[in-house]
Amino acid sequence: MRHWMSSLTLNQKLAALAFVLGVVAVFAKPTGGGAVTIDPNDLARIVETEVDHVDPLDLADWIMAGRADYRLVDLRDEKAFGEYHIPGAQRLLITDLPDAGLPRNEKIVLYSDGGIHSAQAWFLLKAKGYTGVYMLLGGLDAWRDEVLFPTLAKNPTPYQQQRNEKLTAIARHFGGQPRSGAADTEAAPQIAAMPKLELPAGVAAPAGAAKKKKKEGC
Amino acid sequence: MNTPFYKYGAFGDETSLVVAFVIGIGFGFFLERAGFGSARKLVSQFYLNDLAVFKVMFTAIVTAMLGATYLAWMGVLDLSLVYLTPTVLWPQLVGGLVLGIGFVIGGYCPGTSVASVATGRLDGLAFVLGLPVGTLLFAEAFPWIRGFYENGSVGVQTLPGVFDLPYGLVVFAVVLMALGGFAGASWIEKKFQPR
Repeated sequence: MRHWMSSLTLNQKLAALAFVLGVVAVFAKPTGGGAVTIDPNDLARIVETEVDHVDPLDLADWIMAGRADYRLVDLRDEKAFGEYHIPGAQRLLITDLPDAGLPRNEKIVLYSDGGIHSAQAWFLLKAKGYTGVYMLLGGLDAWRDEVLFPTLAKNPTPYQQQRNEKLTAIARHFGGQPRSGAADTEAAPQIAAMPKLELPAGVAAPAGAAKKKKKEGC
Repeated sequence: MNTPFYKYGAFGDETSLVVAFVIGIGFGFFLERAGFGSARKLVSQFYLNDLAVFKVMFTAIVTAMLGATYLAWMGVLDLSLVYLTPTVLWPQLVGGLVLGIGFVIGGYCPGTSVASVATGRLDGLAFVLGLPVGTLLFAEAFPWIRGFYENGSVGVQTLPGVFDLPYGLVVFAVVLMALGGFAGASWIEKKFQPR
């Protein structure tokens, strides 16, 4: 036996190993989508460290950069969605979420008006074994206050001036309008209606429709 | 431990670039060590007297496949989170043909051309400089070829799904295919040895 083994070349031994592994693999049961174990400690850690949040300004950056490596899900009803939604969002009611067949290997960003529905949907998807689930921090309210109608610093320092310009550019891109300075804390003008859905060309492409090609290969 | 690491948030976007860099260095190193920094070595596969490219690539495929299978079986790797390239039939057939023609004529494929530049070869450099030019041309021409680009899109396809076979059986079949291929390749190499 020993003599027989040592007469094999390394290549032949490796080939034999691959053959054995291949035979055993016939009985393999690959996981994925089946049983899901939820680790409460792990969930608590994610919540505590806030790694499951996406800042509205970051999301605005992603949209403006044309990133397509995430899926934006609007959890509000049809009417609200029709009035305004973040460019690229797809509408899904929380009741439809478990069976919507969202791809498990994509980054999913949830939002609703505030933060509660998206947080509940987050747990729901986590319980279904989804891993890349994120919430828009502060929901659509924060999107409105930070992206569409940001408050610009009054008497800005040079650094703040830079930031003001950036915020203005972002707000205009999404059809909003920045508000200036602290003066209007008392009688904050009722924020005008959400911008019309006619968005600048190029931003309204729904996620998933024009997926960016990923580079792979030899 | 859960993998894929990136999908489980073990590291973020920035770190992923570092990880990609390290893996890329490793990939290039082994390409070079397999002799794939040389166009002579690479094109010998088309003269059928040295099928190292076929053997190395198929070995890598089988190794990765068995590793992924067993890790998934142990519950360490969630296969449903692994990115799969969607199949777009016609453009991928034509693209493969174009790559093959370029490979035969020029002696490199994209990865190996970079490996060859790293060893200081000028023919590889011509290839690498051609990459951004071709990319630019493609991008500029994209509005005209968009229709073809999306022609025959059938989404993500896997062998177990297409043939409706158990996953493990396909793994075994691919291993058999590889072993048969290796034996066949050695036979062909001997037959076409230059005299």
